[in-house]
Amino acid sequence: MIKINFFLLAAFIIFSSSNFAEIAYQFDDPAQEKRFYSLISEIRCPKCTSGSIASSDAPVSRDLKNKVYKLVIEGSSDKEIKEYVSERFGVFADYRPPLEGANYILWLSPFIFFFVIAAIFFSKRRV
Amino acid sequence: MNKPLRFLIVLLPIIIFSFFAKVLLVEEDEKFLKFNAKNLPSFELNDLDGVAVKSQSLDGIKLVNVWASWCITCLVEHPFLTKLSDENIQIVGLNYKDSSDKANAWLQKNGNPYIFSIYDPRGDLAFDLGVTGAPESFLLIDNQVIAHIQGEMTQRKWETIFYPLINKARNTK
Repeated sequence: MIKINFFLLAAFIIFSSSNFAEIAYQFDDPAQEKRFYSLISEIRCPKCTSGSIASSDAPVSRDLKNKVYKLVIEGSSDKEIKEYVSERFGVFADYRPPLEGANYILWLSPFIFFFVIAAIFFSKRRV
Repeated sequence: MNKPLRFLIVLLPIIIFSFFAKVLLVEEDEKFLKFNAKNLPSFELNDLDGVAVKSQSLDGIKLVNVWASWCITCLVEHPFLTKLSDENIQIVGLNYKDSSDKANAWLQKNGNPYIFSIYDPRGDLAFDLGVTGAPESFLLIDNQVIAHIQGEMTQRKWETIFYPLINKARNTK
């Protein structure tokens, strides 16, 4: 009886393994593989409130991962791939928005905020 | 404590509060008003009857509606789309990640407001349009995509986003 239970448990673990659900992305070049995984963690899932396409199994995220995979294999650069995605899904899709236009506010506001606080702090000490 | 500083201590929370209020209280639909027009991606697919459809087939003013038989919200917006089609708005369906049998059965059961439905089982055209799911709707004017909304088409979205653009296009012609 214990033996049967053991086999049932083993079978359960094997068949419920997420390996069956994941599409394996095969790479010949480890550098490409590294780029693929870093890219999919930097592209936001358009269907989720917050989360990368790497962490999402929404149909659109699956399509995006497949597309990124194809583009990496075909030799597109990171910049080209991100442009490809944002042309279709908007700059919203990029977790690292480019340093241009209105995005300057986004990138620089933490520093401005820090200096304002620091200025207040030091002027307070002088009094 | 000096005076300007005390002033700043009162002012700073007000500034921060109004900033978050502005970000959080913005109407959900209003984000769709900011849309950069782009060309309709070129494609060659069939419609649900098996007739070839190309990007050039979508000239003039067309409302493109992404739908599927598995999509519950599509059923919710269906009566409104039917009403629009009764008002002579040309609606082209984009049947998304569906099977043609199920899609045709769905139209038979619920009525067909579309002049035709493009059959996109893999979601190729949908991907190029930036579709994230169903339902979504686009406004095409002379092969230009000029509006895009996600979620169901409502009276409100129609009146604030689509209708003014259509009106403007009709008046300039």
